[in-house]
Amino acid sequence: MIVTKWIALRIALIVLLTVILQVSFFSYLEFFGTIPNVIPVVVVSLGLLGGGVLGAVCGFVAGLLLDSVLLQTLGVSSLVLLSVGYLAGRYREGVEITSVWVPPLLAGGFTLLAAAGFAALQLMLGVDASVSILFLREIIVQGLLAIVLAIPLYPLIRRILAPALIDYEPGRRVLMPGLRRTRRRGRSRGHSRIARTRRPVRGGVL
Amino acid sequence: MYRKQVRRRRAVLVALIVFSLILLSSQFSEAESGPLHSIQRGVAAVLAPIGEGAERALKPARDLVNWVDETFAARGENEQLREEVAKLRAQVAADESAVGQNEQYEKMLDIDRSAAVGGFDPVTARVIGRSPTVWFSTVTIDTGSSAGIERNDAVINGDGLVGRIHEVTNNSAEVELITDPDNAVSARVVPDGPSGIVAPVAGDPEDLELDFIDKQQEIAENDILVTAGWSNGQISSAYPPEIPIGRVSATDSGQLDEFQRIHVTPFADLRQLDYVQVLTGGQERPGVPG
Repeated sequence: MIVTKWIALRIALIVLLTVILQVSFFSYLEFFGTIPNVIPVVVVSLGLLGGGVLGAVCGFVAGLLLDSVLLQTLGVSSLVLLSVGYLAGRYREGVEITSVWVPPLLAGGFTLLAAAGFAALQLMLGVDASVSILFLREIIVQGLLAIVLAIPLYPLIRRILAPALIDYEPGRRVLMPGLRRTRRRGRSRGHSRIARTRRPVRGGVL
Repeated sequence: MYRKQVRRRRAVLVALIVFSLILLSSQFSEAESGPLHSIQRGVAAVLAPIGEGAERALKPARDLVNWVDETFAARGENEQLREEVAKLRAQVAADESAVGQNEQYEKMLDIDRSAAVGGFDPVTARVIGRSPTVWFSTVTIDTGSSAGIERNDAVINGDGLVGRIHEVTNNSAEVELITDPDNAVSARVVPDGPSGIVAPVAGDPEDLELDFIDKQQEIAENDILVTAGWSNGQISSAYPPEIPIGRVSATDSGQLDEFQRIHVTPFADLRQLDYVQVLTGGQERPGVPG
């Protein structure tokens, strides 16, 4: 992923919006007795699209924001989310995603891991709770809900960050890195051509 | 070049992990007035209006999703409720005669909520955020210290006790619900039942446990619990007395247990809180930091 300042701004907005939506919308919903957690899904999606470092940074920031907004212990969510973001990114760097079902399944798996990690951290920090069947159910259902959430969310985030993706293919067209799509004047909708960008893309490759 | 990238990546990862651990340990050891807590309260204060706006804007969508979910749940409950209605009809006849007696009891026991909140200055607040996990049972409300809210103020709604204020910023506050693992409420069974500590059953937001009740004490299902609000002059309960907490749903105890376990269902629906009242002011409670 080529991270220019505009792409960085988009990513920051995605993270901020996700935290706000989680706290003021998703946390009020309940499916099978469990609240859907959209933050790990977004962090994993960003990790899968941008690599390990981007996943870790986004996870850290999302966790920090969440803990700040809810006035919880700072650092707990950051630690868990940066880990899953990094792992998701490392997976993407090592393995090619060949099926549309891979991102949702990975989001489900990593959300399950995040929920388990969060639970382990809480127990280590001295929250007085026994590991009951309710917690296990919560963790498993959160993982399953994450799969469902990732089905629309991953393509949406991919679309938002499309200009930064080296291998992005809108439909069947293949865009080469460093090229951008422009619309020719006077032509009907749908007729577009590939033009070379005038300025080289600024930013770091993650 | 590749090695440099790998080194940079590892450095970023290690830095983030170390920073998270520093934050975590610093916040545990730091006082409430420390710089980290202040920064956290500052960020929360900045984001509170955005959260409030989002909460208001998304309420119709949230209600729609919940309506669909509740409709499915209601179908399953329908059969169960029919059976309950048949039982309750028979019970109503018996209860009619007890109504007059009950009124006298209520006067005698003074569990009237208006009496419980007498002497306080209730501040109505809207719930604008809540924690996504079962580990923290907390909600964020849209009023804070500017409305006179202080730490440890009791929070109620129309049904009963909700929790207490845990953190306050200028325009928002965090409410620690009675189902939070860090919370415990001194309670007593009315009319003249024993007193004990009501603590949450971690992971189950609809269950509380009344502990430290001797096995010989008789407590029946549907008995009502209110806050005890005790004080010995030096230390006090954070909650004022006589606020309804919940109803006894079941009692059990193992052979080796010293005390019996009383399960309590809270009156307040803690999963669907929209508005709450914070009891500000009131008599000073010795030993309760404000």
